[in-house]
Amino acid sequence: MLAAISTTLQSIPEVQSAVAAGEFLFLAGSREALSQLPAGNWVGGTIPYFMTEQGGLLAEDRIFVTRVPEMALSVKAADYGPENLANLYRDAPVHGFTFVVLPAATEVLKTFAEKAPSFDGFLLRPVVGWVAGVRVDKIGKESPVVFNGKTGSVHEAKCVALHVTLPANIMADMDIVNIFESQGGDVIRFEEAGFQVTKCLVNGKSTNLAKYITEKGVRTEFPLIGDYNGSNINVSFQNVDAAKGVVDLYAPVFPGVDYRFVKPVADYAGAFANTLTEGAEHPAFACNCILNYLYGKLEGKKTGDITGPITFGEIAHQLLNQTLVRLYLHNMA
Amino acid sequence: MIPAVDHPIWTQIVTGKKPVQTGKLAINLLAQGNKINYEKDSSPANVKLLAKRTHDFFIQYEKVFATEFAKILS
Repeated sequence: MLAAISTTLQSIPEVQSAVAAGEFLFLAGSREALSQLPAGNWVGGTIPYFMTEQGGLLAEDRIFVTRVPEMALSVKAADYGPENLANLYRDAPVHGFTFVVLPAATEVLKTFAEKAPSFDGFLLRPVVGWVAGVRVDKIGKESPVVFNGKTGSVHEAKCVALHVTLPANIMADMDIVNIFESQGGDVIRFEEAGFQVTKCLVNGKSTNLAKYITEKGVRTEFPLIGDYNGSNINVSFQNVDAAKGVVDLYAPVFPGVDYRFVKPVADYAGAFANTLTEGAEHPAFACNCILNYLYGKLEGKKTGDITGPITFGEIAHQLLNQTLVRLYLHNMA
Repeated sequence: MIPAVDHPIWTQIVTGKKPVQTGKLAINLLAQGNKINYEKDSSPANVKLLAKRTHDFFIQYEKVFATEFAKILS
């Protein structure tokens, strides 16, 4: 049995009223929209793309609202930089979960992506959330930011979190929906963790990844898939510079993981529809990736019946790419 | 019932002698993390640390993943 949570895309005045009423909120919207909110019990980050009941939508005058359920025993907003990010897990509740939003292309995101799996509390304290971004035509011109509504602060270089303590009978868990699957074939391994790659091992043989991708004609709108004991974890390509022999990624690769290229997907909306069962239990929160929205041309197209922000990276314990993340609150009573 | 932290099952899971096969993300992230850590450092001290983390994970998620844990621990 699942515990319900309210998520909706709302107008700025509607969200202003909710904040004024003292509700605890996890918000996604444009900087202009979020800047119009009063101080209160909320955290949020910039993103103007959403999965809605009518389909994918770009809207800078709306805010996606996730309400902390009334059953929550306590809610605490906090912000963290790269230097104290390990405290995210120390502050996280034993029973409950933590919403987090991190600004794209920042040191704090890099630290989270590379080090979260080594922090005490990783997996034991469920962390769910996403990476803040901007309208794609504003990339490089505007910075993604996150807001701590409690303090009224806006951050370009910190992440914000909402720690939600739940009753002992409610357990948080996440799953992922990945429309990509391995095409088999060559196994790629990396000897160092990182967002930028030169060398890799292809079937054990040292190779320049950029050169390999170029020679093989790999379509880099599709991710690499890492095999995590049977769970497929995507790493998306940001740029492949064959001349310099450098590949930039949107999430780090890690040593000890087998990576493979994926089978091409032609119809993203259809792939999601096939994976997401209509009428299935609704998640407490969900988000999907901007690359799925862009490459899959999801504007106006539904993603099953899932709603939520469309983001520059997704968090389900660790940073993910090109993945739909769902949070569930299980009532174990 | 989750075995005590000093039960040999935890070492077997960490070292890969006891396979962990499931579709659950959190369990698979734990198993992959164990594999990476164990390949990097197979010392008894590290195995003990990983075994404790694995035990703590099973305690934390005992109710949510009851079916999966029963299969793994059988």
